Amino acid sequence: MSIHVGIDMGGTFTDAVAFRGTQLLGKAKVPTQSDHLLDTILSALEELGIQNPEEVTRINVSTTLVTNAILQNQLPSVDLFLFPGHGLDLRSFIWPVSYRRLAGEIDYRGREVQPPDELEWHRLAQCLNSDCNPRKIAIVGKFSHRNKEHEERLGAFLQNHCSPEAIAFGHRWGQANFYRRSLTTYLNLATSNLFEQFSVNLQSALGLRGYLAQVYILRADGGLVALQKLRPVESIYSGPAASMLGALAQNQPERGYLVIDIGGTTTDIGLILGDKPLLSTKGAQIGAFSTLIRTLAVRSVPVGSDTAVMFGDTLQLSNQRSGPAYCFGGPQPTPTDAMCYLGLVDFGDSTRAAEGLAMLLPVEQRDPANLRWLAEEILALMADEIGKAAEDLDREWHEEPAFKIWEVIHRSAAMHLHAWASGGAAQGLVPALNKRLRIPVYIGKHPEVSTAIGTALARPTFSTTLHLDTYYRQYCIEETGEQGQWTGSRRAQTEVAPFLQKLAETQAQDIEINSQEVIYEPFDFYPIIQGFETVGQIIRGAIHIPPGVMGRVTE
Amino acid sequence: MKKTGLLFFPAFDWALSETHPEREERLLYTQEQLLEEGIMDLPQIRQYQPGMAAVNDILLTQGVLPHPNEHDLDPHRIAAGSALVLGQAWATGQIANGFALVRPPGHHSGATVWDNRGFCTLNNEAILVNFLRSQYGYKKIAIVDTDVHHGDGTQDIFYHDPNILFISVHQDGRTLFPGTGFTREKGGPNAWDSVLNIPLPPGVGDDGYHYILENWVLPRLEKFNPEVIINSAGQDNHFSDPLASMNVTAQGYAKITDLLKPDLAVLEGGYSIEGALPYVNMAIILALAGLDYRYVRESVKPTRPQLNFSTFKHYCEELKSLNVQARPSWLMKDAPFLPTGKWYHVPRSIYYDTTGFQEICYDWIRQCSHCGGVVLLDSQHAGTHQRAAVIRIPFEACSVCVQTGYDLFETLAGHRDSVLLQDQPSGRSKIWHLDKGVEEY
Repeated sequence: MSIHVGIDMGGTFTDAVAFRGTQLLGKAKVPTQSDHLLDTILSALEELGIQNPEEVTRINVSTTLVTNAILQNQLPSVDLFLFPGHGLDLRSFIWPVSYRRLAGEIDYRGREVQPPDELEWHRLAQCLNSDCNPRKIAIVGKFSHRNKEHEERLGAFLQNHCSPEAIAFGHRWGQANFYRRSLTTYLNLATSNLFEQFSVNLQSALGLRGYLAQVYILRADGGLVALQKLRPVESIYSGPAASMLGALAQNQPERGYLVIDIGGTTTDIGLILGDKPLLSTKGAQIGAFSTLIRTLAVRSVPVGSDTAVMFGDTLQLSNQRSGPAYCFGGPQPTPTDAMCYLGLVDFGDSTRAAEGLAMLLPVEQRDPANLRWLAEEILALMADEIGKAAEDLDREWHEEPAFKIWEVIHRSAAMHLHAWASGGAAQGLVPALNKRLRIPVYIGKHPEVSTAIGTALARPTFSTTLHLDTYYRQYCIEETGEQGQWTGSRRAQTEVAPFLQKLAETQAQDIEINSQEVIYEPFDFYPIIQGFETVGQIIRGAIHIPPGVMGRVTE
Repeated sequence: MKKTGLLFFPAFDWALSETHPEREERLLYTQEQLLEEGIMDLPQIRQYQPGMAAVNDILLTQGVLPHPNEHDLDPHRIAAGSALVLGQAWATGQIANGFALVRPPGHHSGATVWDNRGFCTLNNEAILVNFLRSQYGYKKIAIVDTDVHHGDGTQDIFYHDPNILFISVHQDGRTLFPGTGFTREKGGPNAWDSVLNIPLPPGVGDDGYHYILENWVLPRLEKFNPEVIINSAGQDNHFSDPLASMNVTAQGYAKITDLLKPDLAVLEGGYSIEGALPYVNMAIILALAGLDYRYVRESVKPTRPQLNFSTFKHYCEELKSLNVQARPSWLMKDAPFLPTGKWYHVPRSIYYDTTGFQEICYDWIRQCSHCGGVVLLDSQHAGTHQRAAVIRIPFEACSVCVQTGYDLFETLAGHRDSVLLQDQPSGRSKIWHLDKGVEEY
């Protein structure tokens, strides 16, 4: 049986695991070199000590490459041209990038309300040609996910008149939300060179080392996509998604539990309900950018086991890591020192832990009773941050909208009867979490590589969501932004299922669709009435393999 | 900064029938518009999840006859329950104001409910009003109904309640369903002048509507000085509405909202599902949230003839004097089953247009100078001949009226198919039913 490798790049460490089926073969941990992510991946692979690279058929990676580039503001400039039409004042939102608005309007059915102004385009082209740098151009129209015509016409025009370096269209992100679509299109274009380069380098480096494996990248929603098919910006926040999949892979299917992944710098909190990680109803937020990137409902709190602790007027967690824990020779006391001092973990130098904690207290108070109190207080503080995030997550679940009577009547209450913690220092936080959350807290057998396990066992996913308007004979696919002509009848109850099936097969081509994993969402039919006659239908439906794992870890 | 609460519940799996105006498609394009504009992302907006009204919340306000179990109430309970979710959020200070953008609507549903009427089964705003009174102790509440149709159900429910001001601005009942809402209808004998009806001629646009608000509705509200203002935010005054003949634009609706400044708004009618709803809903939300709504514009332009403004002003003057001149005229009567006291007697017949039958209802109101007076609604379904009685002990009832209500319940139980007692001051209700006996809620 072939080998699957999972590599999870965290802020502090990069973890790797190798699996044969669901059997864990080996695990490795190397420090993350944030400026040399490729080297980090390669050294993690080396550390795994795989004898026959050709046996590895799949390498799944969750990478911080794009996340870091965006958060550190290392993006090239992109010209953003918008067709906002009427409606909400664009200034109602905060735009982290500048844009230029152009005339032309489409409505919610994809009908043209106002044509674009070609004279305006000529002026635009002149302006773009006034400096010689080739441009990256993002073009986004309101309701372009229903009709891409204005975007494509401007694209063709600029191609002819300005020879830009690259043009990206908003309609390729086929979900509603003009503001988010604009920023997502922008970010994807801005990160494409960076990702392309990484992708080429990674594949050639792997080839040189004898790996023939297909590389997959984990997405923020826990989906797994082949490197070549991934849109760069979709790789943000794959770490938290990996944590949730890691929990899935190490738990039996149960109704619901809280997942707490404690890293060195951040802790991710998510919710598993009915063996599925809870998806956020909103797209991912990264820095100042609101995007359409589907993401799991995960709260990341900037508190980890290596977070520096300070004691001014009150005890505080600094939200920063200034190095390893004091008990590992680091510069400042951290929660890890508290765990070490209390004997909750079996690593670290406990004498140094006591020293580190003592630094926080005035000289006259540095006695065992006070140190013990302090250590417990630090962990309680950390558990409280996690508890608050968990409550916030519950609230998100409770405020999730519902659009159908069926959904309201059959709504199940969010139930998490226990919490499942992972991360190298998870063991040390169990008592404090237990006290704060008032539910049992469990830990798996491999807490230190749990996210890598999630990455390795993630299953390839695909999703095809159809929006079909049989009156205007137009269909669009949310995930790819594909738009096309419907040639079927106006009442399409029987035709629509095979139509969607075919679209899904095209999209999933290289994923082996195991029919048991495929989910067919029931179609919604909205009769379109004019006068008192049904003149067509709007039909929504979807086929997908949802994020999940290939199987549970066998011991 | 307190946010504007938004609860969007389009009931995508519910329609009165496939081609009925109240169908799945009704809020489909509004959803497309709200999602594309990113309304839920606005920092000024907080989104809420639909709820389901408890049976007691309904029965305290409306008699669902002969028994609630005999009706499919789920969609209506969710619409009403959603209004309650926002009511609770508002009363507990979570939001500055809120908009329940929900269907099915409710304002044609009255104090007695035998079936669906004017697309409505449960009265979302009335249930909300009594919820705010019973749960949070509010006493004076005003409802302003800006749907193009007369809010006859809401009027019916609060007609005898001096603590609730009901104002309805609508297209004249002589030219539109439900054919009521004349300016002489000003409230019951113990609650005279707690209802203000402003019927408008067809063709009134933004100017005319705003004129009425500024010169009549707002001064009346100011005089009443309510603790809560609720807006029945129907959108069928729009120039493209297929069921009515007015000329208001999305901008006009935003300004209406800006003028009224409702604490809570609840969607009512509005059946121009493409030409109006996506834009009017946007405009109302932006106005509630204090955002700039000037760029919201319909994709089609008005084509209906506009009523001349000076003609309209003249009409208003006449209407105002008619309203002032209206005098109460009530009949007093006695019946063997009535406890001691003086009783006003108002016979009525109510038409249920959705399935087509009449309800015959005799309203008995106890004359009382201490409270709104206990009310008996003695009702009969003219099609099935089922008879049911609703006894309402009003909020702030005096002790005599409370006792009278309980006495009436004892007397009538066993003599109708069902009898409902609404003990509003205690927040409880109970039903006696032929087959089920007494059930308390």
